[in-house]
Amino acid sequence: MFERTLNVFWIVFGAASAAYAWSLGMVGPAGPESGLFPFIASVIVSGAGIILLLRPLGVAPDFPRGGGLWRVLGVVVGLIVMAAGMPYLGFSVTSFITMIILLRAVDQSSWLSAVTLAFISTASVFWLFGQMLGMALPRGPWGW
Amino acid sequence: MEALNGLLTGFGVILTPSNLYLCFLGSLIGTLVGVLPGVGPLAALALLLPVTFTLSPVGGLVMLCSIFYGAMYGGSTTSILLNIPGEAASVVTCFDGHQMARQGRAGPALGIAAIGSFIAGTLGVVIMTFFAPAIAAVAIRFGPPENFALMVLGLVCTLFMISGSTIKGVLMMALGCLTAAVGLDVVNGRERYTFGSVDLSGGIELLAVVIGLFGIAEILSNVETMAKTTLLADRIRGLWPSLADWRASWRPILRGSGLGFLLGLVPGGGPVTAAFMSYALEKRIAAQPERFGKGAIEGVAGPESANNSAVAGSLIPVLSLGIPSNPVTALLLGALIIQGIQPGPLFIAQRPDLFWGIVASMYIGNVFLLLLNLPLIGLWVQFLRIPYRVMFPVVLLLCVVGTYSANKNVFDLWIMLGFGIGGYVLRKLEYDLAPFVIAFVLAPLLEQSLRQSLVMSPDGAMILVKRPVAAVLLAASALLTYLMFRRQTKNEGGLS
Repeated sequence: MFERTLNVFWIVFGAASAAYAWSLGMVGPAGPESGLFPFIASVIVSGAGIILLLRPLGVAPDFPRGGGLWRVLGVVVGLIVMAAGMPYLGFSVTSFITMIILLRAVDQSSWLSAVTLAFISTASVFWLFGQMLGMALPRGPWGW
Repeated sequence: MEALNGLLTGFGVILTPSNLYLCFLGSLIGTLVGVLPGVGPLAALALLLPVTFTLSPVGGLVMLCSIFYGAMYGGSTTSILLNIPGEAASVVTCFDGHQMARQGRAGPALGIAAIGSFIAGTLGVVIMTFFAPAIAAVAIRFGPPENFALMVLGLVCTLFMISGSTIKGVLMMALGCLTAAVGLDVVNGRERYTFGSVDLSGGIELLAVVIGLFGIAEILSNVETMAKTTLLADRIRGLWPSLADWRASWRPILRGSGLGFLLGLVPGGGPVTAAFMSYALEKRIAAQPERFGKGAIEGVAGPESANNSAVAGSLIPVLSLGIPSNPVTALLLGALIIQGIQPGPLFIAQRPDLFWGIVASMYIGNVFLLLLNLPLIGLWVQFLRIPYRVMFPVVLLLCVVGTYSANKNVFDLWIMLGFGIGGYVLRKLEYDLAPFVIAFVLAPLLEQSLRQSLVMSPDGAMILVKRPVAAVLLAASALLTYLMFRRQTKNEGGLS
């Protein structure tokens, strides 16, 4: 079912993208326009989606369940926290929080080991990239 | 003679303390990346790419290349001792390498993998020394139509070599081209697919795409299973193979070197295909094929040689033609473009210091890697004792830093996350992601060549068939496409 839905998505996405590319123009007096190349690519996406939809489905994909699903979701939530929090809290604090989420949700570490490991790894990465390699990592309102 | 002079220039460039240090550092990181399961060479290269922007182009490229071939050396250690491939090209080494370890022969398995890698890696670089300038000398006469046809052939070859469904590969390739179209049109500066977003007007960042598809997606796959494994490290004794081992291995090493180099040249080939093909070849021609899978040393020597030789082979099309043959070389191409260098037929003539510096560094890097992988094997084994549950949060943090550091833009983190989830789901549905990355990197050049060809032609697209070289290349693409779909139809009993 999921694969069928995805194939329908490819068809719709390709068609919408082709329509948009068409609006950019195909060929003008100065030669090919901005829409030509993406139009061709979009038509291929849609066409491939149609062929995939017409084909018999293979083996059903093995999506995670139970503990595996929670671990995958834990990583995704951790990354969302990271991307959403970094502009406001800075790299160090967001990384520290993310690491605790990951270690608690994915690894089910104890609070003590999660906090210790989160502190060590965040400090190490901040020191290596922020200090040693001179990369400008986002800083929080407290200046670090 | 010209090649030898070039090589001398290269050694002149590379034999400075800073470049030697970067070559050693890259080899060290490459070995570590190969040893640690879940961190492939592509993700490592993507993570370290921003670091190389602060280095000279030679230093940066030498470091990135040495990570690539270093990972091929290190990957065998995990395959042999843990039965988990450190990276994709070492999957086949698990079959016989781990069986040898279970029989108490981990030492000779690790030894022959390192020595075979060294021989094949060095032979590959020797051939590259003479082969790459010859190819570039021919390609220097190419205009936009020939370049377009060559890139089309490269993309078709990539599709021909992928393992899964061809239709899914075609879809991924077209999607890669579409993703690359986001941002400003390079020809007339018009915005495409940005929908008014300032973040999208600069285009989708290559690093965010690669780290998402290959770093985050890999982490998601690994945390899903979190398999417990047994490390057979206490059985490492006597790394030097016996006389009988040598007798059984020298032919597979030479065959693997030749086969790997050739498969590295072909777009879509590269180390992974080379290792699998070498294993299949050795098994097919073996006097006792039933020994394979039960600890045959040929099953380690051949594939490990092939994947190292393929690295040298795969660098030729990217450096002399500007055509990447796999996602890692696509990233290297991206790195060169970011540094303001355009690889292609003129690359060797315009930047001999860079090209020959890379070639010379590969001779030296192979020696570094032999030293790192034989006497220091005990050190790498200690890294294998770090549980993945402790390692992955740190890798994840590095993915975030690597992605952010390219543009200092948090928006790239959302792109990385999107591609990570997308890559994880698509892998589950057996979509090959390599065509996506290759198309994503090649698409701007492909579009530019197509548009230049059409502008310079009074007959429109006919220019592509009127120019003999372009016509031959497009005919080869058409033939490969026909063969590909015939194979697919045969395998699946019809497309629909």
